[in-house]
Amino acid sequence: MSQKLIDAIIEMREEDALKITQELLDGGADPMDVLEACRQAMDIIGKRFQTGESFIPELIMAGEMMTAITDILKPHMTEDAEEKKLGKVVIGTVQGDIHDIAKNIVAFMLDLSGFEVTDLGVDVPPAKFVEAAKESGAKIVGLSGFLTLAFEPMKDTVAALQAAGLDDVRVMIGGGQVNEQIREYTGADAYGDDAMEAVAIAQQWAKE
Amino acid sequence: MPEFKTDDHKIKRKVIACATVIEEMIPFLPEDVPYEVLDFGLHMNPSELKSLLQNKIDRASEEADVLLLGYGLCSMAVIGLKASTATLVIPRTDDCIAIFLGSSQEYKKQAQKEPGTYYLTKGWIEVGDTPFEEHKRLIERYGKEQAEYVTKMVLKNYKRLAFINTGDYELERYQDYSKRLAREFDLYYEEIEGNPNLVKKMINGPWDEEFVVLLPGQTLTYQAFVNSSPEAS
Repeated sequence: MSQKLIDAIIEMREEDALKITQELLDGGADPMDVLEACRQAMDIIGKRFQTGESFIPELIMAGEMMTAITDILKPHMTEDAEEKKLGKVVIGTVQGDIHDIAKNIVAFMLDLSGFEVTDLGVDVPPAKFVEAAKESGAKIVGLSGFLTLAFEPMKDTVAALQAAGLDDVRVMIGGGQVNEQIREYTGADAYGDDAMEAVAIAQQWAKE
Repeated sequence: MPEFKTDDHKIKRKVIACATVIEEMIPFLPEDVPYEVLDFGLHMNPSELKSLLQNKIDRASEEADVLLLGYGLCSMAVIGLKASTATLVIPRTDDCIAIFLGSSQEYKKQAQKEPGTYYLTKGWIEVGDTPFEEHKRLIERYGKEQAEYVTKMVLKNYKRLAFINTGDYELERYQDYSKRLAREFDLYYEEIEGNPNLVKKMINGPWDEEFVVLLPGQTLTYQAFVNSSPEAS
């Protein structure tokens, strides 16, 4: 049954996906298992995006489906599940960049995976990341940027966090053409190629 | 900074440029400087662009001493490029928008003024690579409702549509097109004057800090691209 849900999501059949979700719940399925199916579907879509089989529109539609599915699931989730928070993450698109499609997916996946996410939106100045990290006590900060123009502000944000004495905060970056050279340039602790990697990095850090 | 004098006729130059950039270069290109043009659509696929560029560079190195690349960083496509026997000269800009505007500084100024700017040039309009043309394709594929949702999400944070006027006899047509799109997608329209300074300087020198000058055998790193005193690997 959950394979059917995965298929519906990756084939962009939103109505079917919502119907199957409802049927799964009616049949007594654990909402966490349904979420797991969503996670697997997003993983596949992310991989297809990387290999050029899917494009931005599919990412957007998938994001829309995820939101709709979690809306259905939420009333069925026990408080216990809601409170299973692994840690706090502050995330945002850095100053000068306004692209947020992938960032939103990362934020969503982190939330699904049990993190408490503070999403600062787009065009976020370094000082705002510092302020949010201090206020929330988050030990993980995620910086997103699609344009190469974003690399400099990423570097500035890492520097601002350090200057504010937040030495125990770790920074992960992602988006567009971010790679190891850019991680090194910006001084970030890690980079991820897709939302699943961002989740894996955050999970790893939360464990340490 | 290596000593090159472009008026030295012993130095053979060759241009390898993107289809949108070459249009701005041709009016200033001396007759004895040959050029090759690569498809504009490649900017969507940086790894393919990289390997095609490397291929062109390898072949052009046999016939020229200095290769002028009509590209910017272009989604990191130029990082990793290398010419074994020629010198590479590349504008130190993020992408072609800076080339059209005349400097990286001007681009950053525009980006600061309004980060949510969608830039259009005649080249981009001609190739039809805009979210507006994409919108038409989406309607065909997913229907009107889904297409509208997707386009709305894509353009959500965009506020300004800026047409860069680089001068063209069909100017009015491009202006009309840009204005119509701005209205249709609820963006405010602005026209920005293009500036050929960077293009002229790329062709004639001096290749100062506005350019990455990569000596034969060096491989371009991101660090060298952004740092005006390059240390290549």
